[in-house]
Amino acid sequence: MNKGRTPAMTPWIFLIPFLLTFAVFTLYPLTQSFVLSFQQTFGPRSTVPVGFENFRYLFTDPLFWIALKNTVIFTLCSLFVQLPLSLGLALLLNRPELKGRSLFRLIFFAPSLVGLVFVGMIFSLIFEKRTGLLNVALHAIAPAFPLEFPWLQNYVMPALVIAALWLYVGFNMIYFLAALQTVPDELVDAAGIDGAGPWDRFVHVTLPHILPVAGFVVLLSILGSLQLFELPFVLLGGSGPENRGLTLVMYLYNTGFVTGDLGYASAIGWVLALILAGVTIGQRALSRKGEE
Amino acid sequence: MFEWLRNFSLGVWAIVVLAVVSSIFIFTRPEPSSNAHAFWLFARPHLQAYEPLIAKWNGEQPEMQIKPLLLSLPAMERRLFSGFMAGTPMADLFEITQIVTARLISGPVEDIGLRDLTDLLTSEGLSDTINPPSFSPWMLRGRIYGLPHDVHPVLLAYRSDLVEEAGIDVTEIETWEDFVRVMGPLKRLDGKSAEDRYLLNIWQTNTEVLQVLLLQAGGGFFDANLRPVLDSEVNAMVIATIATWCTGPNRIAIDAPELSASGNALKMRGQVVATIMPDWLAGVWKNDMPGLSGKLKLMPLPAWTKGGRRTSVMGGTMLGFNRDVPDKVFKQQWEFAKFLYRSPEIAAEMFRRSTIIPPDRNLWKLPVFDEADPYFSDQPVGRLFIEQAPNVPLRVSSPFFNAAIEHSGQALLRLVEYANANDVHTIEGLLPKSRELLDGAQQQLMRDMQRNVFMREDE
Repeated sequence: MNKGRTPAMTPWIFLIPFLLTFAVFTLYPLTQSFVLSFQQTFGPRSTVPVGFENFRYLFTDPLFWIALKNTVIFTLCSLFVQLPLSLGLALLLNRPELKGRSLFRLIFFAPSLVGLVFVGMIFSLIFEKRTGLLNVALHAIAPAFPLEFPWLQNYVMPALVIAALWLYVGFNMIYFLAALQTVPDELVDAAGIDGAGPWDRFVHVTLPHILPVAGFVVLLSILGSLQLFELPFVLLGGSGPENRGLTLVMYLYNTGFVTGDLGYASAIGWVLALILAGVTIGQRALSRKGEE
Repeated sequence: MFEWLRNFSLGVWAIVVLAVVSSIFIFTRPEPSSNAHAFWLFARPHLQAYEPLIAKWNGEQPEMQIKPLLLSLPAMERRLFSGFMAGTPMADLFEITQIVTARLISGPVEDIGLRDLTDLLTSEGLSDTINPPSFSPWMLRGRIYGLPHDVHPVLLAYRSDLVEEAGIDVTEIETWEDFVRVMGPLKRLDGKSAEDRYLLNIWQTNTEVLQVLLLQAGGGFFDANLRPVLDSEVNAMVIATIATWCTGPNRIAIDAPELSASGNALKMRGQVVATIMPDWLAGVWKNDMPGLSGKLKLMPLPAWTKGGRRTSVMGGTMLGFNRDVPDKVFKQQWEFAKFLYRSPEIAAEMFRRSTIIPPDRNLWKLPVFDEADPYFSDQPVGRLFIEQAPNVPLRVSSPFFNAAIEHSGQALLRLVEYANANDVHTIEGLLPKSRELLDGAQQQLMRDMQRNVFMREDE
């Protein structure tokens, strides 16, 4: 017997379960959806090849552009509102002198333990006209504030961003908090002794240390935001008035599973995949440049 | 020999035991009986009404057992589509709504997965006994693909306690214009919006009620040849009128959504005087808002013009059959369908549970429909709905039904925005903009339809 030598087949035997499931549940559907994106379906049984027609139509489809615009706005809000808030909270809750900081960490993290669907339902009640918690409270504080203030009709994006903030600020805070705990205290102290103020210490000492984690959180937020679906779907019961809450994934879902046009839905899916891939590659390139 | 087993940790043992137990469970599960026919439903009251009769049928017909399965409508829709597209297991019979049916019967006739019932309905005389408008949602190109379950005529429910206290005589109301005038004194806008009271539960975002009113007025989304007619003059008039109801100093509308706690709270508080009510919604109200018992009455919908239609239609369900089932088996299923849908016991039970009237005109004679209903101030609710059933408007099934609703709804929303922005709150003032917006909606819908190669072939 050849002790110490691994037979050539052994790694493959270990890989077979994964390869099989990958082929059946990922590779085959991907290939099938790629083929479908060049076809048009109508009803459950009719399919016809249409070449690049689905992609050509996509770029002239006003709903696609509305969905893209809404998705990009939400993504930008995630990046420029949600992440700074998460970082701010993390900095605050990383201060050793803060009493009960473990409890605060738990409180801020707790919303992310609630499922997205529940969050949508809770906020749909909060934003309700006349009987919603928010309008009733604001009306009680300022009687001039209209009880019929239409959050879920005219202010769909702010409503979505508020709900997402409640859900994700604490979640992203945990990443930043973990990263902040890797910043050596002696470096911060040394910078302080050298006369650096709190802002300088943050910019020149803390930030470079947490940059890899920040890059990861940014990437996760962008990818998550670009795939936004459940929150507006539950909060608005669909895409909302005038499609103000329509996102790319929701448009894909509506096209494929409500209208039944699987070919066009596949085309949307592939365009979304290309956007996600582009963002990921771009972000990685920027990160590498930053590290250099 | 089994030394290596000793190296297994507790976790590994747990996984092995789970794997063995679950495998035994799966492999020893009894195969579904070959003579069992799956029957999918999405409405619990339907299932509850059917259960005794299904048990009776199964007792008498051992060679054809019916297995009902209650599913949520979206889940059923996915399963049906998967079944038709990929041959995954699916039901032999299924109750589905118009929107689902519109999608299932789209595409070329030879690809429709539902059995065509047209000839059977004619040869058995059912096309004469069933209320004719009830077939329309299940028809495509003159062929019928389902057995109608209901009619769903629409009446106007109003707060009789408030109306009578104000000394208002509702018999003076024939048109929507009369409604606004006669009910006017009940409106209460005293500046404290928590106390406000509005005449009608309708809002610019409610596309379901929009459709009801468009159909009532003689408008709608498609003509009999499935060509879109969003830009018709009657549609323009209806959405202009709704916009005047929802905006401005003479606003009469409130947004009190159905099937929601917040909407129900507004109704319970008396902030809503009247609601457009199909038969099924009457049942929902009885169940969800028992506190309104004796405070409500029903009347025919006000018409759009004098002598016009006093009802409309909202919702609808049909029983569909899988086309791939062999003819011999289908015959048995058809017998079961008639047993179920033409049964006086079920018609009565369904009405008691959900206030839904049957489409079979022979069943309209049942005494249950004349019973006084204390919830609606002892009115004979069944009879009131039945009186309007022959007049419900025809509906056309199209795979572009959702798109049509969406485009029309957006036109209404934009018209309301226009009304608010320009302080225009009269029908005459809004009509030009209404026409313009509906013209845009029509163009968008045509664009959606033109993209479809199957529709192009049809033309």
